[in-house]
Formats: sequence, structure tokens, C-alpha cells
Amino acid sequence: MNKNVILICAILFSAILPGCVDNSQEVTDITIVTYDVSGLSDSMLKEFEDRTGYKVNLIKLDDAGSILDHILQSKGSQTADLVLGLDNTYLQTALDAGVLIDHQATLQGIEASSLEFYNGSKAVPFDKGWICLNYDTEVVDGENLSVPTNLWNLTEDDWRGKVAIPSPMTSSPGRAFMVATIDHFANDPDNSTDWTDWWAAMNDNDIIITTGWSEAYETHYTGGYGEWTDGYIGNANIVLSYCHSPGVEAHYDEGRTKSAALDIDRSSFLQIEYIAVLEGANVIAASDFIEYLLSGEINNEMPTENFMYSVLENSDLPIENEYRANSLVPLVSAEVSSQEIAENMGSWLAKWNSAVNQG
Amino acid sequence: MLKWAGRFAIVIYSALVFIPLILAATRMIKIVGFSPVSWVYSLELYRLSEGAIGFTFIQAIISTIATVLIATPIAWQLGRYSWKAKPLMRAILTMPFVMPAIVAAMGILAFIGPNGLGFRSDQSTHFWTLIVAHVWFNMALVIRFTEPVLSTLNRDLEDQLRLLPSGRTAFNRFRILWYPLLIPSLAAAACMTFVFSFTSFALVRWLTPLENSLETVMASVGSSAGIDNYNEYSNDLVLASSMIQFSVLLLSLWLMSWLQDKRQSRLPQVDEKSAQIKNPKGLLILIPGILFALGPMIIVALASVRIVSRDGIEWSFRAWSKAWNSDYSNIGVWEALLNSLGYAAITLIVALPLGILLALHIRHLEKSGSKFARIVDLLTLLPFAISSVMIGLGVILGIILIEPVELKEWWILPALPHIMLTTPFVVRIILAALRGLDPSYDENAQVLGMNSFERIKNIHFPLMKGPIFIAGIFTLAMSMGEFGASWVVTRFGQWDTLPVLIDQLRSRPGWDPLIQPTAAAAATVLMGITLVLFLIAEKFRATDEKGMF
Repeated sequence: MNKNVILICAILFSAILPGCVDNSQEVTDITIVTYDVSGLSDSMLKEFEDRTGYKVNLIKLDDAGSILDHILQSKGSQTADLVLGLDNTYLQTALDAGVLIDHQATLQGIEASSLEFYNGSKAVPFDKGWICLNYDTEVVDGENLSVPTNLWNLTEDDWRGKVAIPSPMTSSPGRAFMVATIDHFANDPDNSTDWTDWWAAMNDNDIIITTGWSEAYETHYTGGYGEWTDGYIGNANIVLSYCHSPGVEAHYDEGRTKSAALDIDRSSFLQIEYIAVLEGANVIAASDFIEYLLSGEINNEMPTENFMYSVLENSDLPIENEYRANSLVPLVSAEVSSQEIAENMGSWLAKWNSAVNQG
Repeated sequence: MLKWAGRFAIVIYSALVFIPLILAATRMIKIVGFSPVSWVYSLELYRLSEGAIGFTFIQAIISTIATVLIATPIAWQLGRYSWKAKPLMRAILTMPFVMPAIVAAMGILAFIGPNGLGFRSDQSTHFWTLIVAHVWFNMALVIRFTEPVLSTLNRDLEDQLRLLPSGRTAFNRFRILWYPLLIPSLAAAACMTFVFSFTSFALVRWLTPLENSLETVMASVGSSAGIDNYNEYSNDLVLASSMIQFSVLLLSLWLMSWLQDKRQSRLPQVDEKSAQIKNPKGLLILIPGILFALGPMIIVALASVRIVSRDGIEWSFRAWSKAWNSDYSNIGVWEALLNSLGYAAITLIVALPLGILLALHIRHLEKSGSKFARIVDLLTLLPFAISSVMIGLGVILGIILIEPVELKEWWILPALPHIMLTTPFVVRIILAALRGLDPSYDENAQVLGMNSFERIKNIHFPLMKGPIFIAGIFTLAMSMGEFGASWVVTRFGQWDTLPVLIDQLRSRPGWDPLIQPTAAAAATVLMGITLVLFLIAEKFRATDEKGMF
């Protein structure tokens, strides 16, 4: 027993040692708080480190909501230099809280539409994409189920329990879609109903509401890659995702996909994601990273590295593997100003919650 | 001196447990006000918490009933009959309890998912899958609580009862002899099973994604709690969930504590060898039980070398290579393992002596007939009444309030919830062993003139070496497998432990076919270490111990 005890103690104490050693370096670390942004690939980060001498650390959280929670909780004592992944439905809250500071990056070539929502010095767009509904073409084929032509179709019996949408309370795509429905029903010819009526009807029709996009797309959607994962349930034939998600599926399956985007006027929303410098950060290092992320060689790779559109001028999705061909650009997407979102998001979320919590 | 050491231990322990929680609660109450009724009412106002109370109670109650029904026959066979590889059997059957829930979830999903039996798509199976998972976890409690009683009861009693008219049938023998004997142990085991099922997090999150429990509600909204003018509803939900949990679990734990005191058998007991006989037919129950215990773990190990993609199934070790090497997204298994071992070591250094002092003090109070014995006993059980997510939240919100330095410099921070969660286990193990010591040793030592310190050094400690070692091993195993609190705390830094790494890998979008096998590889490493620790502990366990473990 004594030998076993000594051996176990030796292993344990050697494990403590790294934590006791002061390995804090001179300020050459740069920490980014983000969600699982695949665009920050190992090769991309390694290249940045090799060029600049900085060491990149990532704090990975679940989604944009978690990121915002984190930086607000850490107000006054941030644990990161950069925040990456807040979108145009979350950004204003961060700006109002005063946790973002001016960057010093020199930027050029960002297209105007990406700067329409916010064009200040406290946040820089780095990718974008239209949020919209996707459907499984093998099921929604006109014979089993018809392709919906308006959102009210989804409240009919045929679609009971077959639509999965991430919650606007916790998910940025979910939030963006909620904003889109607000604009959609404010502009539809029927003046007797509004967006909360639709959500209440969807609730009555057993809509599946998940915490995040991954759960909705991977666990519930029948038209995506989820059918190869262990947790797959496959009970939704329509899911909220991006208009170009079918293009991503095709990209990974040699041009094949059974998913398609649903183009209903004002039911899609242009989501723009931002990178920003946090209070207390190493501004120079953070700005260097922003410049790197927005450089042509990196940002033009967003479609294949991060499955989103680049924000640079003259960029587009790749043609190979039918990526671009399967990526819908909505004819009429929702138009809601940043000011309107900032002023009303709190009350919108409360109304949404009331609508889906009835019974 | 021992008395003062015990009091000091109570102060330290209370500070560790209560200060972060009080600070966190204070911070949240400052935002939403003190109104327990409106907190509880808020649970039904939000989609993400709708039905949480009902679901939590129902699944905990059914899990408890199912666990007792399934595990009791296994415990019976293990306890009443002799088996050649009994220590190994016991280790396998009780090991699930210390496994991280995320490992169980992965194994079960791999078994029932589209690449396994394929009935995951049927939503009506989700609830019962959760129940089965809870049985898997908690059957160890039933076995550990009842086996000591079963294995040392003098068999002559049953033989004598058979000769009497009322003892001729098995049912009557059960009713007259076994039922009164076992009910305190079974009830205590049921209380603890209820506690752990009530606060289940990872299993509910992964196996019943369409349901809300109080624990998952807290995890969902906890990160936005305590922030002024932001998502104020999250404070209501966290306060409501934790208040309900605390009340219900405190009652359960008080009952368990009272029952555990009653478990001390007054019937004549004998050593294990003379109490047990052979019964080959018992294998019909033991083997399925062992396979049930091993099943999810074997499946996880196999899943680590099975890569499923659109192109079919590939069997290879590619995922192991990926798991071992870190990248920018995740640290490697080796680094996570070192973090886990480091926190386990710190937890051991603090929780073991603290738990021993607390147990000694409780025993001292019991012997002196003090009414505070039960109160202190209950105090040490309090962390069981607080969910691991709430403990993690308490640490974060509380510590931020005390010392707003950059949390990333506090590498030791995640060890704090580990200490809070493992100290109660040390107390249960040591206290039960102390209660089982023959008092005549102590009395004779007093007659010989030994003071309390000398008695501890020369009498108690040599007799307690085994339980202390087991408590230490158990502390290590529980710390290594701790997930809920770590999940909350490590999100503020970069100190990922193995269970957190497994969850992170498992949570990544699954378009990359290597993701799930990589998570399974990390889980297999954790399982292997836990199994080794448990097997070592089994070597030093005496069967007649009446502790929880």
C-alpha cells in the first residue's frame, strides 16, 4: 500500500506543478472570446502567430448569447482582448454597456452593405449571411408535403411538430429570425394579425424550439448532416439556418444536397457578425488581429472556412461543388434598423416569450 | 484540541460552502428583489423553463423507484452469496456512480442513435432512456447501502425462521426478517438516488433535449444572472430553481441522515465468510447487472475508433491522435488530464483532512449526546442539496464580487467547487467507519491513560487507514469526473478539465466525422483512470463498513 500511495502522490503533485509555475509572459498573448467559429482555423491562427509573434488563446462558449453574457459579467475585468461573434442583434447591447473600445486597425475594401448597420470604430464586421428557413427536399417534395409559400402554411396540421427553430432568447440566428418575422408581418397584406399571433399559432402547432442552432440543425433537421451523428432525432423537415446552408452541404458532399432554402419575402434577415476590442485589451495586438482577419487572403476564405459570406468587396461564394448554385440570395429580406433593434429588443423578446408560452 | 480543530473545520467548511452562494444570491436579489413567490411563478412564464418543476420531480421519483427495483436483486446476490471475483464485481457495479454523466450520455446515444439500434428518433423513448441512465448511475448507491447489511447477517437467523410456521414461505421470511432489516438502508439509498436524479444535468441535457429541468434551466440562464439591467428574468429563474432544489433536497438529506443512523444493525452479525454461501444461479442476475454497468463504457470505447460519415464506417485510431493533440479550439487530452489531476490533487489536500476533522467532530458530538450532532451532520450534507451548476455559479458570481481581478490568473479557482462537492463524501465515508469502530478499544485506551490525541494516533488512525485511503481515492475520482460546476467555472478561463473537454468536443457541430470519436477517446481516458482508482479502492474496502461508499 505504501508504494501505491507514494506513486499516486507523486503523480498528483507533479500535475499540480504546472499550475504553480508562473508562466505569465510578457504581453504577447492575445485572447479571443468566441463561440465555435470554425473560421478561426488552426492554420489561420498559426499563420497569424508566426507573422506577429503573438500567441493566440481562445475562450470558446456556446453562442452569441453566451459571449455577450460573458463580456457583460466580466465588465471591468475582462478575461479577453477581443470578442468575436456578436451579431447585429446583440451588438448594440455590448456597445451600450461600454465594454467595447476603439480599435486601431487600418481597414479597406469592406463592402458598404456590411457597414450599413454599424460603421463605427468599436466593432468591425467580419462575415455575414442571410438567416432563413431550410427544408428537406426529399420530404417537402410536393407529394408528401408542399413547399410553403407563406409563413402561415407552417401553422397548418401538415407541419405539426416538424419545424425546428433556435430560441431568440439564446441564439443569434433565432433572434434574427424573430426580427424578420416582426418585419414580415408588419408588411403583409393581412392587418388583423401580427408576428406574435404567428408565433402563438406555431406554438400551438408544436414548434420545436431549441437552445442553439446546432441542436436545431444537427439533432432535429432531416435535410442536413445530422443523420450521421449519434444524438440525431430527425423529427423536423424545416429548420432555421442560413440561406446558403444548402450550399455548404453541397460543398461537403461533392455537389449533392437534399436541403433547400425557403424564399418568402421578409422572412430572411441579413446577419452580420462582428469582431471588437474589449476594454483593458492590448489594443495594438487586437488591432493587428482585426487587420489580419479582414485581409483579403483570410476574409475571402470565409465561405469555406467559416461557412459565411466574406464582407469584402468583389467576393462571392465558390462555384466548385455547387456551393454557389445551392445558396439562395433572398429577393426581399427583412429591413429593420439598428436603432429599432436596440430600442425594442427587450420588449420583443418578452412578447415572443408570452406568445410561445401559452398553454 | 480536537474539539477546537473540529470547530475550526466547521468554520472553514461553512465559509467555503456558504460565502460564494450567499454572495451570488445577494447579487441576484439586489437586481430582482426578495420575492420567492414571484421567483417560482416566473418558472412558468418562460418557454425555457416551462414544465421544469414537474419534469424534475417526475423523472426523479420514477428514477428512484426504478433504481431500487433493479439494483436490489443485484445487491442481494452480491451480498448474500460468495463469489470468487467479488471485489472486481463490486468495483464494476459501483463504478458508474463516479463516472461523469457526459460519458454515460455518449455511450447511451451511441447505442440508441442512428448508428446503433436506431430508435432515438422515437421521442417517446427519450424519457425512459433518461430513467435507464439514472438507474445505471445510481444502482451503486443501493448496492453500497444494502450490501454490508446483507453480507454479514448471521445466516442462522434465516435458518431458524424457516423452522417456524410463519417462516416457511419466502415471502413471509422477507416480510418478517428482511424487510425490517433492509428498509432503512433501502430508504437511505432511495433518498440519495432521488437527490442525484433531481440534480441531474448532463443526462437531461443530452438525452431529453426537449425537456427542461431545474438544473438545465439554471445552466441555460446562469451566465446572464447577476448583471444589472440585462436579462433580469434569468435572476428570477436561477433563484427559483435553486430555492426549490435546496428545499426539496434538504428534506431528502435530513431523512437520509436520520435513516443512516438507524441502519446500525442490532441483529447478530458474523464475518462475511461464514454468512455467505455459493449460489451459481445468482449469476443469472449478476451477469446482466455487470453487463449493464459495463455497457455504456464499452460502447464509448468502441465509439472512439469508429468514424461514421457519408462514406460509411471507418475503424481507426485517427480520433485518438486528434484527441491527444491540442489545437486552438480545444486543449489536448494530455493537458486536460493534467488539469484534472491537478485539481484532483488540490481537492484531495483540502477535502480529505477537512472531511476527516468534520467526521471526528460529529462523532465526538454524537458520543457526548449533543443535539448539535445532527445539525453538523446535516451541514456537511448541504452541498448535496445544492446543484453542481449552482455551486459553479456561486463561485463565479461570488468570487467576481469579492475580487474582480482577471480570473484567468486564478488557476486554482475550479478546485473550489470540487472541494465543496467532495468533502461531504469524505465525511460520509469516515463518519460511517467511525461509527463502526468497537468502542471498547477507545475505552481501554482511556483506562490506560491515553489522551484524545494519543488515542487518535495509536488507535483510531491505524484502524481507519483503510477508510481514509478509500475516502482519498473517492475524492480523486469524484473530482476527476466533476462536470456541472466545472462547466460553469471554466467558461471564464482556460482551465479545461477532462469532463469539460469531452463536453466541448461533443458540443461542436458534427459535420466533421472525427468530432464524436474524438470526444469518445477523451472519455475513454477518463473512464480508464476512474476504473483504476476504483479498483485500488476496492482492495482496501472492508465489506462490513456501513458507509455510503
